[in-house]
Amino acid sequence: MKSFQDVILTLQQFWSREGCAVVQPYDLEKGAGTFNPATFFGALTAMPTRAVYVEPSRRPADGRYGDNPNRLGKYYQLQVILKPAPADAAELYRKSLEAIGLKLKEHDLRWIEDDWESPTLGAAGVGWEVWLDGMEVTQFTYFQQMGSMPLSPISVEITYGLERLAMFLQKKENVYELDYGGGLSYGDLHKAQEREFSRYNFETADAALLSRHFDEWEKEGERLAALGDPLPAYDCVVRVSHLFNTLEARGAISVTERARYIGRVRALARKVMDAYIQKHAPEPHHV
Amino acid sequence: MSKPPAKKTAAPAPKSADFLLDVFTEPLPARFVAPALAQLSANAEKMLAGRLPHGRVSAYGTLRHLVLLVQDAAAKGEDGVERFKGPKESAWRAADGAFTPAAEGFARKHGVEPGALKPEGGVLYAEVARKGEPAAKVFSALIPELLKSLEFPKTMTWEETGFRFGRPIRAITAVHGARVVACEVAGVKSDGLLRGHPALAAKPAALKSPAEHMKALRDRLVIADPVERRAYLLRQLELAAKSAGGFADLDEDLVAETVDMVEHPVPVVGRLRPEHMELPAALLKLVMKKQLKFFPVLDARGGLLPAFVGVRDGESAGNKLVAEGYRRVLEARFNDAAFFFGRDRKVKLADRLEGLKRVTYQKALGSMWDKAERVRALAQFVAERAGVDAKSASASAGLVYADLVTDVVREFPELQGTMGGVYARLEGLGEAAATTIEQFYWPTAGGAQLPTTPEAAAVGLAGKLDSLAGCFAAGLIPSGSADPYALRRQALGAVRIVVEKKLRVDLEACLAEALARQPARGDAKTEGALREFVWARAASYFEEKGFAVDEIRAVRRDALRDLLGASRRLAALQSARRDPSFDRIAAAFKRAANILKQSGERDERVDASALTEGAEVELSAAVESAERRVAERLGAEDYAGAFAALASVSAPLDGFFAGVMVMDPDEAVKNRRLALLTRLTRAFRRVADPSELQTTAGETPAVVSGVR
Repeated sequence: MKSFQDVILTLQQFWSREGCAVVQPYDLEKGAGTFNPATFFGALTAMPTRAVYVEPSRRPADGRYGDNPNRLGKYYQLQVILKPAPADAAELYRKSLEAIGLKLKEHDLRWIEDDWESPTLGAAGVGWEVWLDGMEVTQFTYFQQMGSMPLSPISVEITYGLERLAMFLQKKENVYELDYGGGLSYGDLHKAQEREFSRYNFETADAALLSRHFDEWEKEGERLAALGDPLPAYDCVVRVSHLFNTLEARGAISVTERARYIGRVRALARKVMDAYIQKHAPEPHHV
Repeated sequence: MSKPPAKKTAAPAPKSADFLLDVFTEPLPARFVAPALAQLSANAEKMLAGRLPHGRVSAYGTLRHLVLLVQDAAAKGEDGVERFKGPKESAWRAADGAFTPAAEGFARKHGVEPGALKPEGGVLYAEVARKGEPAAKVFSALIPELLKSLEFPKTMTWEETGFRFGRPIRAITAVHGARVVACEVAGVKSDGLLRGHPALAAKPAALKSPAEHMKALRDRLVIADPVERRAYLLRQLELAAKSAGGFADLDEDLVAETVDMVEHPVPVVGRLRPEHMELPAALLKLVMKKQLKFFPVLDARGGLLPAFVGVRDGESAGNKLVAEGYRRVLEARFNDAAFFFGRDRKVKLADRLEGLKRVTYQKALGSMWDKAERVRALAQFVAERAGVDAKSASASAGLVYADLVTDVVREFPELQGTMGGVYARLEGLGEAAATTIEQFYWPTAGGAQLPTTPEAAAVGLAGKLDSLAGCFAAGLIPSGSADPYALRRQALGAVRIVVEKKLRVDLEACLAEALARQPARGDAKTEGALREFVWARAASYFEEKGFAVDEIRAVRRDALRDLLGASRRLAALQSARRDPSFDRIAAAFKRAANILKQSGERDERVDASALTEGAEVELSAAVESAERRVAERLGAEDYAGAFAALASVSAPLDGFFAGVMVMDPDEAVKNRRLALLTRLTRAFRRVADPSELQTTAGETPAVVSGVR
């Protein structure tokens, strides 16, 4: 039986053999792997890219103090980016599932229409959520636009929900009981974190401080974008986006304010995107 | 081509053969499949017309295969003549008959002599002989054109040519008889291979012939014909549900979706845990159907049994594992639902109202709390007029939106109302209130069920009228197919409630009341537009009930003030019309109405003793009695009786038109006669407007005085 870390290692090895660079997580709090600059900016240029990386994803509002066996405020996505999208992308994905030990013949693998859209990033993709015996374990997306620009070539993004896959493989109904590897359970490593961060996100976070930080990073992002340094400016987008998520979980944002906050993140992302396209789009670029 | 036959005496005509196109894609969304197949055959038929003789054209397929089958496609197209429409003859021929340079250019472009241009209907045509092309060439050209012509709800690109399609095309099988038809679309070159279900992981094999394609796919776990797949699915569901001791809940949307979501349906039966059966059945069903696409299992009376049937795609190997997986996801979902449900029960509906202040209904129309207040007041207004307990109605109406801020409804918006009803019952608010809250949004679709109690009907009506009035006041008036607030459905719902639940309410007054309560003001035209909108729904509702358009127009007057009465007038009018003499009667009244339209109605009382002409005297007496009887019959809501009373005026009226001249030179006489017709027409109009009725008897009926 594969431990949680075995699943990660196997998938990284699988995709590494398919020519992917094994990229490390980007070192900022973010809501989803798509915020990793390798995805975000990687999809924009014409340069071929193949990358795989694990990305910790934080969803402050989803935390349940470690009590809910299925919900986490922080979890791991494994993301694969292939550009241009190869004709056998779906086939490769099926093989990757076989690689972690699934006999697909004995399971129900379904592709359910699920297009992806992030208005914040002016991004949209067409694709599916993949159901393994009814459980959503993967998002499979062909990016169509980023920063409101139609993309060419098209990238395919495969996002594995690692906890769900591991629970499936280990037949566990409680995420904290997963065998993580190294003699530890997922709970050993994460339960205290879930408990404390739930308390922080829902109860103790200093809303005034967070909202001040939001204002400051927003300003900083605008300044950097104007200076023509979109990469550090983009970090500011990631930061304000996470600050917003935390403020919302904390219950510090009213309905009317909410729309305004989202508008501000979006406006900043747009400026950064424009700066990036101006600076990098014509020639290949390394993240 | 024109080689002389060598040994064979008569060269056999090239044989026709079936043509098959199988476009193999990544999984198409279920909702894309049926429309794409319909277009595939229809567009192919259009494109082949005149290009290649062929037999039956059909399409079948799955989420991964879009298949076109053209039977008996000829080996070669027919020789034919192509016509190109040119200029007007008058414009392109000079006075002396010579062609202008422009006409000569047109002829040259099509490779014909100007003299060969054919005039027809004043226009010149160039006719160009065209050699029939070999089928391979026709199909090679047709395939890209055909695939490009398919429209999907949403398209995408995935490779460098930028071709747009519903999902990526991964292979194209194109075979005419035994030969592969070469073509390339979206970077994919055609071949002659057969591709089965991906669960088989079998290598593609050569397709022997188009005719055996469907069967060969079936052997590879793909039931390619949607009709067969549906029948197979239903049979499997039935058997599986039976094994679980009941019947599958065959929700048509879910059946249709499932048919195009799997290529080879295999049922998997699972059971619900007893503690989950304590959740409301509507919630359990919704989780199963919407979130997991499982079919609930019901007992003979429609009650939910603790079982479900999931449908997997492929084969049954590992069914136990799959069932285990299904159970786990279902339980995780139910645990979530149970968590929300448990939390919701801790707060009373009445205590949730404050939370509605934070939910925006519409920018110009305030929060849901504002809307709840308006609906509560309007419900009281409606109930008072409808003879329903207004105090109780207004109390229930105050709670209809409370469930919008419950966790369950936030998770499952489709359960609005349903959950409110559940919580009201659990809180012990009483059956009347619970029913009103539960049925507030009914009917939820055109022909869906109506509220069952008078109170629920009155409150539901108030909710719909408030939405209509609010949106009209805020200028959110539906246009074309855009109707984001579903106002057409709500107006139809209001009409159905009034007519079918027999609510005696003045809709004009209710709409005015609803408008007056809106924070948005609208303009001078708002109220009229709103009435027209509601009437348009009523008219189409009546039309669907089988009433003629002119009959509906004839009862338009004041219809909204008593829509129930209008529907009864309509029924009486329709049945009165079946009487063969009705047409003649209506024509006479119509004539009277037309005269008045030209000369204006007269209000003066007619002194019966001043009447001189016999026909006039007779009509006056008839009108007097008809007026009385119509009023009396209308009072008794006996619309058929009212029509009978009016019919009794028919003979004197005919006699009047035959015997006297309405437009008498004597002004006083004329006015007297017009006044008589005015009274008569008004009496008729209380039932129906004769001038709206189409009559076959003509405007001026042959007068057969005294003969009925």
